[in-house]
Amino acid sequence: MLVMDIDRREEKGGAARRETAESKSRVMGSWTPLAGDALLDRLRVTGRPRPLADPDRAARLRETIERGLAQGTVANQGGRRDQSPSPTPLVITKDRLTRALSPGVHHDAIGFGVQPPTTPMACGALIDVLFRQLVTIGSIGDPMSDGLAALALDDRQAHLIAWIDSLSGTERGTLAAEVDRQSIALVNRWPTLDPAWLPRTQLPIRVDVAAGAVELSGRVDLAIGRPGLNVASVAIVEVKSGTRRPEHRKDLHFYALIETLRSPAPPFVVATYYTRTGELDIDPVSDELLAAAARRTVAGARALGQVAEGAAPSRLPDQQCGKSAVLPGCRPGRQRVTADIGGYRR
Amino acid sequence: MRAHELTAAILAPPLAPIGHGDRQLVRHNLTNAIPAMVENLPLGDQVVVTLAMLRQVARDPAALSRPEEPFAWKPAFVRRSLGLSAMDACINHRFSSPTEAVGPIADQAVSEWSRTGWRTFHWEPWIAALHPAARSAVMAEAATWATTLWSSIDWHRFDSPLGLGGPDDQWVCTAARTVRLKGRSELQVPLEATHGGGAESTALVSVAAGIPRTGWETELGFLALVASLRSPSRPVPSRVVGLWPDAGQYRSVDITSGVLTAAGDRVIACIGAVVDARMSMVV
Repeated sequence: MLVMDIDRREEKGGAARRETAESKSRVMGSWTPLAGDALLDRLRVTGRPRPLADPDRAARLRETIERGLAQGTVANQGGRRDQSPSPTPLVITKDRLTRALSPGVHHDAIGFGVQPPTTPMACGALIDVLFRQLVTIGSIGDPMSDGLAALALDDRQAHLIAWIDSLSGTERGTLAAEVDRQSIALVNRWPTLDPAWLPRTQLPIRVDVAAGAVELSGRVDLAIGRPGLNVASVAIVEVKSGTRRPEHRKDLHFYALIETLRSPAPPFVVATYYTRTGELDIDPVSDELLAAAARRTVAGARALGQVAEGAAPSRLPDQQCGKSAVLPGCRPGRQRVTADIGGYRR
Repeated sequence: MRAHELTAAILAPPLAPIGHGDRQLVRHNLTNAIPAMVENLPLGDQVVVTLAMLRQVARDPAALSRPEEPFAWKPAFVRRSLGLSAMDACINHRFSSPTEAVGPIADQAVSEWSRTGWRTFHWEPWIAALHPAARSAVMAEAATWATTLWSSIDWHRFDSPLGLGGPDDQWVCTAARTVRLKGRSELQVPLEATHGGGAESTALVSVAAGIPRTGWETELGFLALVASLRSPSRPVPSRVVGLWPDAGQYRSVDITSGVLTAAGDRVIACIGAVVDARMSMVV
């Protein structure tokens, strides 16, 4: 609610404030990341009117998805709903969607298997838990110790922690240096969030479509603002420790779609915050954005359905190779990952 | 899901209370069926039926045949208890939001345990021993859980004091092997009596992860069934509302004799599946 009040108060001067915030961040022609209130303003004041709650919007999006799924094999995938006493829906996450739509060598999109750990992956997992800690208690101690202690509570990260433990002193030092650097920047730049804005970290969001045959599922790094109001009041933020990639925006659009289907109003903005550089990519949520996300979801779900039915995937290495379970036995995939890590280290 | 809609669904006028005869019939069905089902289980074995187990039997029956993992505390096991305490503190105006409340509430609980030794088998000793960063991860989990519930309900509309959490309802069936039914609700909301005699009436609110699936009606009815069995002198809850915050959905079921009977049948089927799975492992 407070978010809305503040925005109402600031709407008129929004553009001017944004310009000021951005001009403040350009020092002598060089770009400086936004920090504190300026970062918060950039997130809050998108320059576009916030969408209103509209039950028809969700109904239209749902219809788009269900019509698209009905044209493929997916509606039956989750499938065998008529015969099985325990129907298992086809679960679509942002990663599966991206993999399904990428012309990757491996195309193991239908799996949720454990991926071979890499330094960027470890850095990302540590920064995720440190970001959550910062939002919750407002501080970070020793980043590596804190990060590892928090990760240790999550059974799913046992493999990654064992991998970090197995690193040589030099490799571990490289990882720790990057985690330290990003954490310090995060603490210096990330604004304090008023508890009245109802910050929720690692928020699970999910909806089912096609009578439960397909489930769209996500876990949002940060949601701020009161849901269920007549005007969109929720902002969704994803935190990334690596380099900017086009699919990050699409990931957020997928989250905006899920939030719209599960809430009376869509989020008013989705944003990716890059802890490595301090960049903040924001997308004000519009009907066009949501419609495109729905179409992409249909395309991805259909591709997943086809792979599940045994169709041969296309075979070109891409940025998803690092996440593939069959990477160790794949030369072009390893070459691609080596090139990516080289870019990361530079 | 809008807070005012969910709140109105919780507070809607209740149906006429279930008659004593109907209630007795459901109990009779259970006490008749269960003993014979469990008599061949190994000596000392027991069956505990919870809402989670009812759902598991319906959706992943194969899991019953897998060995149970030894219990270990996780943030997800603490979030409900800590989250409800934080919400209670917000309802009593000690804090303005769950995010503000979880830290002080956790600290207070830990120091209370240190001082008195109470709740030694609860989460307090576990989080007391955690690294501060790990403790903050537990608090984050509880804050998010509680904030989602906090923003789902219009709390100002409740005139009477609510029950938050509290001990589970439990009923033990007399049989050669112990069969225990455990029902857990997050809120117990007194409802305005609209029927003759002004009988006490309650709505239970149950919060679950995921998406409501087929069978939600009897699953919610199970909570009313256990409350009814536990205390025959108290009225059966008039309504059970299920809330699935991940999906932004709620479902409400008014408790009729039909719902109670269906819940009883589901319990019997669940016990049957558990016994079959255990016997197959014994053989």
